[in-house]
Amino acid sequence: MITQMNVRGLLFDPYNNAYIVILRDEQNSDMLPIWVGKSEASAISFALENVAPPRPLTHDFMKSILDNVDAKVLSAVVTDLKDNTYYAKVHLWHGDSEYSIDARPSDAIALALRAEAPIFTKEEVLQKQSSEELERWLENLKPEDFGKFET
Amino acid sequence: MSVEQNTDLVRLKVHGVLVDPNTDTQIVILRDENNADVLPIWVGTAEGTSIRLALEDVVPPRPMSHDLITSLSTHLGMKISHVVVTDVQNNTYYATVHVSLHGLERTVDARPSDAIAVALRAKCPIYVTQDVLKRRAGDNLDAWLAKLDPKESGSSET
Repeated sequence: MITQMNVRGLLFDPYNNAYIVILRDEQNSDMLPIWVGKSEASAISFALENVAPPRPLTHDFMKSILDNVDAKVLSAVVTDLKDNTYYAKVHLWHGDSEYSIDARPSDAIALALRAEAPIFTKEEVLQKQSSEELERWLENLKPEDFGKFET
Repeated sequence: MSVEQNTDLVRLKVHGVLVDPNTDTQIVILRDENNADVLPIWVGTAEGTSIRLALEDVVPPRPMSHDLITSLSTHLGMKISHVVVTDVQNNTYYATVHVSLHGLERTVDARPSDAIAVALRAKCPIYVTQDVLKRRAGDNLDAWLAKLDPKESGSSET
């Protein structure tokens, strides 16, 4: 079983000096927080805010290669969570075949947003993700920690 | 005319990646095969790190963005044949990545940092046009490099 997720925004995590991509399902009942690095966060925020940078960023270049050979991004799927690391796959359609390629969730999401392709997660990933831990973490957040990345 | 016969293009090797301690950016040092010309290109931290990993043949536990690009190409049967640094305007370099699929060649616009990171992984040649080499934004490079403390270039220099 897979659930479609929406990117709800990016938060800055001052304790780990990293960013968190917040994915939520359409009923807003499940949430998946994914910690990503600064450059991946900025790649995602450009796409979320529909900003076209003057020069193609890495994921714009990635999409441009795929466009050039008529390969279509079907979806990005968060497939697993092991030892606090999320795993993902990018699904492509090219010629008459579907391809599924291993990727970090940050790359898969940054590419899916540019291709306007849906983002899914496997149910078991949602179950594995301990919401308890996140809630504890969110309780410690101060309002000023929510920077301009929040949408 | 094949790429090798094109006298307008000079083949470059990635000599190393330096960290500019003043701006916290990284500089990719490209040199021609006779070591006569140097082309320094300022890149972001993420791109510099990615280029360094490829130079050192480090395979990270999870695929980095440029590993994903080469992985996408391989899965689709696409070949990344070469990359070219094509222009420099106001200190910004421009590049193209040349890919072929089923015998058809296509050219994709890219930043030089992405083009170089992908070229190293695809083990394909990197070229620069004679014109860019002449107009390179590195006229003060030798003075600048001389000021760099060797310690600062650290393990990133190869």
